[in-house]
Amino acid sequence: MATPTRSKRLVALGVTALLLMSLLTVRMWVLQAVEAESTESIVLAVRTRTIKLLGERGRIFDVTGRVLAANKRILTVTIDRSVISDPVDRLAMFQRLSGPLGLPLDLLYKRFDDQRFGPLEALPLKEDVSEDTALFLAERTEDFPGVFVREEYRRNYPYGALGSHIVGYLGAILPNNLAYYRSVGYDPNERVGQYGVEQSYETILRGKPGYIRFEVDAQGNVLRILERVEPVIGNDLQLSIDLSIQQFAEQALETQLGLRRRVEAATVNLPDGTPDPQYPEITYYKAPAGSVVLLNQENGQIVAMASYPRFDNRWFGSVITNNKYAQIFPQTDDPDLSILVNRAVSGRYNLGSSFKPFVAYAALNTGQLPGGSKYTFRDEGTYKLESIPNDRCQQGVKCVFRNATCRATNQPCRYGTVTVEEALAVSSDSFFYKIGEQILTERGYQAILEQQVRLFGFGSPTNVDLPYEYSGTIPSKALKRRMADLGAISKESGQAYFVGDQILFAIGQGLLSATPLQVASAFAVLANSGKLFQPHVVQRILSPGTPDASPGVADLNIGSVTERFDQLKPVRILDMSGDRRDPIVKGLTRVITGPGVTFGYYHKTTGENLFRGYPYKILPIAGKTGTAQGFGNLPWNDSSAFGAFSLDPAMPYAAYAYLEKSGYGSQAAAPVIKCLFTALAGEYRLDPVVPADPLNLNSAVAAPPSSLRNPLCLAGLGSESRD
Amino acid sequence: MFKPSGALLAMRRQGSSNRTFAGSFADPFRNIDWLLLGAVIALGIIGMFNTYSATRQRLINQGFDPFIYVQRQVAFAIIATLVMILIMAIGHEWLRGRVIFIYGAVLVALLLVLVAGAVKGGARLSFDFGYFSVQPAEAAKPVVLLTIAAYLSDTMEGRINYHQFVMSLYILGAPIGLILLQPDLGSASVIVAGVAGVLFVAGAKRRYLALITAMSILTVVGTVIGGVVGGYQLARIEAWLNQNSRDSALDRILLQVRFAKRAVSTGGFFGKGYLNGPLTNGAFIPVQFTDFPFSAIAEQFGMLGGGVVLGLFGVVLWRTWRIAQLARDRLGLLLAAGIFTMLAWQIFQNIGMTLGLTPVSGLPLPFISYGGSHLVSSAILIGMVQSIHMRRLE
Repeated sequence: MATPTRSKRLVALGVTALLLMSLLTVRMWVLQAVEAESTESIVLAVRTRTIKLLGERGRIFDVTGRVLAANKRILTVTIDRSVISDPVDRLAMFQRLSGPLGLPLDLLYKRFDDQRFGPLEALPLKEDVSEDTALFLAERTEDFPGVFVREEYRRNYPYGALGSHIVGYLGAILPNNLAYYRSVGYDPNERVGQYGVEQSYETILRGKPGYIRFEVDAQGNVLRILERVEPVIGNDLQLSIDLSIQQFAEQALETQLGLRRRVEAATVNLPDGTPDPQYPEITYYKAPAGSVVLLNQENGQIVAMASYPRFDNRWFGSVITNNKYAQIFPQTDDPDLSILVNRAVSGRYNLGSSFKPFVAYAALNTGQLPGGSKYTFRDEGTYKLESIPNDRCQQGVKCVFRNATCRATNQPCRYGTVTVEEALAVSSDSFFYKIGEQILTERGYQAILEQQVRLFGFGSPTNVDLPYEYSGTIPSKALKRRMADLGAISKESGQAYFVGDQILFAIGQGLLSATPLQVASAFAVLANSGKLFQPHVVQRILSPGTPDASPGVADLNIGSVTERFDQLKPVRILDMSGDRRDPIVKGLTRVITGPGVTFGYYHKTTGENLFRGYPYKILPIAGKTGTAQGFGNLPWNDSSAFGAFSLDPAMPYAAYAYLEKSGYGSQAAAPVIKCLFTALAGEYRLDPVVPADPLNLNSAVAAPPSSLRNPLCLAGLGSESRD
Repeated sequence: MFKPSGALLAMRRQGSSNRTFAGSFADPFRNIDWLLLGAVIALGIIGMFNTYSATRQRLINQGFDPFIYVQRQVAFAIIATLVMILIMAIGHEWLRGRVIFIYGAVLVALLLVLVAGAVKGGARLSFDFGYFSVQPAEAAKPVVLLTIAAYLSDTMEGRINYHQFVMSLYILGAPIGLILLQPDLGSASVIVAGVAGVLFVAGAKRRYLALITAMSILTVVGTVIGGVVGGYQLARIEAWLNQNSRDSALDRILLQVRFAKRAVSTGGFFGKGYLNGPLTNGAFIPVQFTDFPFSAIAEQFGMLGGGVVLGLFGVVLWRTWRIAQLARDRLGLLLAAGIFTMLAWQIFQNIGMTLGLTPVSGLPLPFISYGGSHLVSSAILIGMVQSIHMRRLE
């Protein structure tokens, strides 16, 4: 039938079709065999979504197991972003949700615009909704598509302000920390520790997040769960803090500061003895702030650490307006008023005479005092520099340094011939002026004193496990230059390190600064015969999920310990052999017990009066007062310091208290330490530790007042001189 | 090639004249091309399973019964089978006698759909009858072929002459014009391809063929300039030319093709397994079950499955081509050649766009794609081919 042409044409048609089919086959083969690998990963990335699951944060206990930081399960309403990507849908959905959630529209929109919530994850609309609200929404999924109620945990601090400077709080990741937290796997909207142990142990407390990987379709609808990795609960922390002593320390500090505010400071007199008309006749001590540190000499574990002003860390977990926040935590340039500063680790303090024991050690250790403990010096009330020629003194260089004024004579105290032990007991300034001058001038102006006190940890951070630690400063050429560059001291003053700088250094004034924790740790070195420890507030890191023995108290006997800090080796061991430690400890013991020295009349030691009622027989201690001169050397700017340590090896404590603008060392700080050791001796009935009342959101202060039930342990007379 | 001996031929003729002997060799139903039928049925069944896999998850997501589409597809297949059997039974010769009425009816339907058709995606392609819709353009495919083949076989002596060629273009032009107005470039291209096949085999001179090609191009350009064809069809071509573009305006088309290609390429040799294709399950490819069914096959069954489907299409084309060659008369030859071209073009165009070889068009893949109209239209084509085969010895 077919003509040759047709037949040929039919063949041509068939061949064309065959070519096209072959082309399809080849193309399919190229896609599947050649290009397959390159496209596989893209497909996988596109079709899965991952949702992070955060585990329960580790809890924080005190040394006995009291739960200081726990977690409360809350319900959070979230919405899938794809449901509200269209502005019209968003408005409609927000209008519908506004009622059930009890949130005005603008707040919902604010949430939507909040950059902390990632664009790929469900947007949390409201946290901590009631079970009823959650149920209402869950039962009406068709009216609220994409709305989901998820379980979360909220941090809960049962004891409120008690120990809050140590425990810390959680907050949103700050913009300048975002890069760091991202790099360690955090989401920008996570809450992280921003203070205290919550901050310093953040990654340990957080645990390991898990995730759910979903397969999704092109519209983002979840098809199935591909993988679910459960989160790992964070490790629990057992602090070395004993909450009952912590509470007592906070009460004693706050009570004492309150009492000092009712005390008149000395008047400022003209040289002829009449009141200086430039200053008001009556000025009360301001006593705005202070701190107390109590630690274990033998391992550096901190038992109590109080800092005033206190704050309730539950403010940071509550929903308050910016105005309210500004009322509670006012922005201020006045360091006296700042609340969110743990003064025990961040305070930059002159130490006054409480620094003298370490200068004494420097002299004894370097052989600066011929005869050591038997070396004597005649204290005539003033000390004239020996290294400066008389003519220069007459040209105006300050060459004569005076002791503190004795109340009995209204003249610089004169103690006569004193040993190093007696010089510490009565706090002879002249003795230490001499050491200060000679340890510099007789050693070729080397920084011997600096090197010696650095052995105790001054001038470098203790590396305590708390954030924002201040490393302190030690007067030196380098420091003076740096401070001159910063404008803190004048250019001329910054040019060199003068003998005068060294003199002030030797009595703990001038450019010396340290934190109360550093000094407490240094006193512990004297106490334990030379071992410098890295202090810690955490005793043990426990494996996650420590069970409770009773409500609010963890059972520390169950579960394993991941890491412990109460058996650390010392950072450094100082030579306390021979005549180095004994005269210092004896002198500091005489501060508590007396006797003083007799020169003209009997001079009591600086603590003798105060500690008369102290149960020394039960818990023997040694200590040293200090008064740091403040602005203008005005009496009401004196800050009060006292360091002490136990002589009983069964109760190995060391403590330091510092009360700003509160008076002499023996007047303000020493009574607090006295109370503390009285309590440790068992001679004071401590208040029971009970969970705090719920946070009062109407309160205008950061923490409710806390005071000693019985302040009698604070009572006692101060010393007769500005010690 | 099987050549029946004279004795057998005589027997068959005898049998055909003696209608009482239904089982004789001359009985047309004894001469069904079973290989062709088998391949078509196999493709149809693959199409049903494929329709289920490509629609299951998205129906579940929308809260519907996952079997809705495949149930309808089975119903369409039954209707299509009945239509095919009907065509085979009555024969293409019978249709030829009434082709003028059928052609007229199709033209009326094409006119009506422009007025009363359901608007979908900016085009009026179908009549909506609630439970199902009917696309007259699908009906036009076999009818235009049959009309032109009938006209040419009636008038032609030897090669097609100029007059017949022009007449053919008139016959083609009326429905094509109406289809372009819908606008449905894809269906138009299929019909033009089929008619071009008919004219080619009819011995059209090369310049005629060049003319029809030029006219096709001019028509397309004309519709574009005339605004009948919207920017959407142009965007498809633009997307095809720039398949790696990141132009957001082309996003929808680009992603559709990109995901289709990924589905094919991630299938590998054995595929992900039935109902285990992530891209298919994830509904990443819009209108996959109608326009991109091959991507679902290749993702789930890999090169093996894709190869089997291509092979089955190869069998369909081979048998159709063979029937064209065996055809007893001019009508059978031209019709079969046209059907061959039409099917080849549709298969190439549809699988080609899945693989990124050709621009996206709304053409279904014969026998596989979901959809009643195209299934019935394809069944008519196969029914006519079978009819040519069955009656080649009469």
